[in-house]
Amino acid sequence: MDNKARARLIHLLISKSMAEALLISAVAVGFYFATTNQNLRGVLDNADRTWVTGWAVDEGHPGSRVEVQLFVDDAFAVAGTANQYRPDVHEAKRADDDWHGFALRMPTLHPGDHVARVYAVHPNGNGTRRTLQLIGKPFNFRVE
Amino acid sequence: MSTETDRERLAAHYTDFTNPSERSLAGWEIASVFSSALIAEWILSAAAGRTKLIVLIPVSLAFMLVIGSQMLRREGLRDLGLRFDNFFSAMKLLALPMIVVTLVCIALGWMSGTRPDIFRWHTARPIVFQLLLGFAWGFVQQYVLQSFINRRAQIVWQRGLGSVLLTAAIFALLHFPNPWLMMMTFIGGLVWAFVYQRTPNLFALAVSHSVMTWVLVSTLPDSALNHLRFGFKYFA
Repeated sequence: MDNKARARLIHLLISKSMAEALLISAVAVGFYFATTNQNLRGVLDNADRTWVTGWAVDEGHPGSRVEVQLFVDDAFAVAGTANQYRPDVHEAKRADDDWHGFALRMPTLHPGDHVARVYAVHPNGNGTRRTLQLIGKPFNFRVE
Repeated sequence: MSTETDRERLAAHYTDFTNPSERSLAGWEIASVFSSALIAEWILSAAAGRTKLIVLIPVSLAFMLVIGSQMLRREGLRDLGLRFDNFFSAMKLLALPMIVVTLVCIALGWMSGTRPDIFRWHTARPIVFQLLLGFAWGFVQQYVLQSFINRRAQIVWQRGLGSVLLTAAIFALLHFPNPWLMMMTFIGGLVWAFVYQRTPNLFALAVSHSVMTWVLVSTLPDSALNHLRFGFKYFA
């Protein structure tokens, strides 16, 4: 192969790599927006041996109630809906009404340190996938 | 002086095999086509949801590279194996391994309690039509595998065991994570790469590919083959 052909082949390889890198980047960005809800807001306020409380609002649809799931120590515990009375969320202009709190019952836990996480369930555009999106931060607590 | 000239001529003659950049370039070409297949199998199949057409983008890019490279390297149709004069010679080389693999598959199926069923491949289609489809699909795969990957592997490791092993390993890895399919494609890859290096004929390889796929799905249990799925679809 002469130098000219070799140079063309190298250009072809580089162009193909760039096109594929752009394709993967576009797919990754599209996948991110399809599987996450940018308008989701919420906080996990407290967790103890009996209850996990907090609030969650979808600011894109402030009238809707967010479906939530509680995980304790990385294991699914219980599912629920953020539809409890929380006037402070409304007063802070986070929601259109007072009903965006959640209170999830904690499963029986053995004594020791535990971590609670609450996720919002987010169905994507055409409903083929449901992804979990962390609300606030994980909450560390101790059961005596 | 004449010794110097002879040395230069000899060096020029062996440039294709000894020049590291030529070997690197061939390795880069193989890696590029391999990565396109992985992108299609793993990233786009997983992320694209129902829009399967997006898989055509990396596939088209790979074919552009394959055809472009073959043109730039001035590889003729005969070199690539698109010819008929050696069809029967290639079939003769393929016959014995095909018979052996068929008998092994029947034995494995029998041991696992599966009765051979030659109509199991695609029950809704006539078997002749399915074999023709298998031939077309096998031809496309063998075209890329042999006339591109095998030929570039020969630049990297010359003709022989090394390039045959590399070709078969790439073919098997493209069928990850289906263990049965990986094993069978590795064995098939070894036979086809070896036969192609001795008697390059893509039509004979496509016939063999189609017939051996038919043998696999007719003899081995479907639970082992998982509908010939691989890549992200294996888990679907």
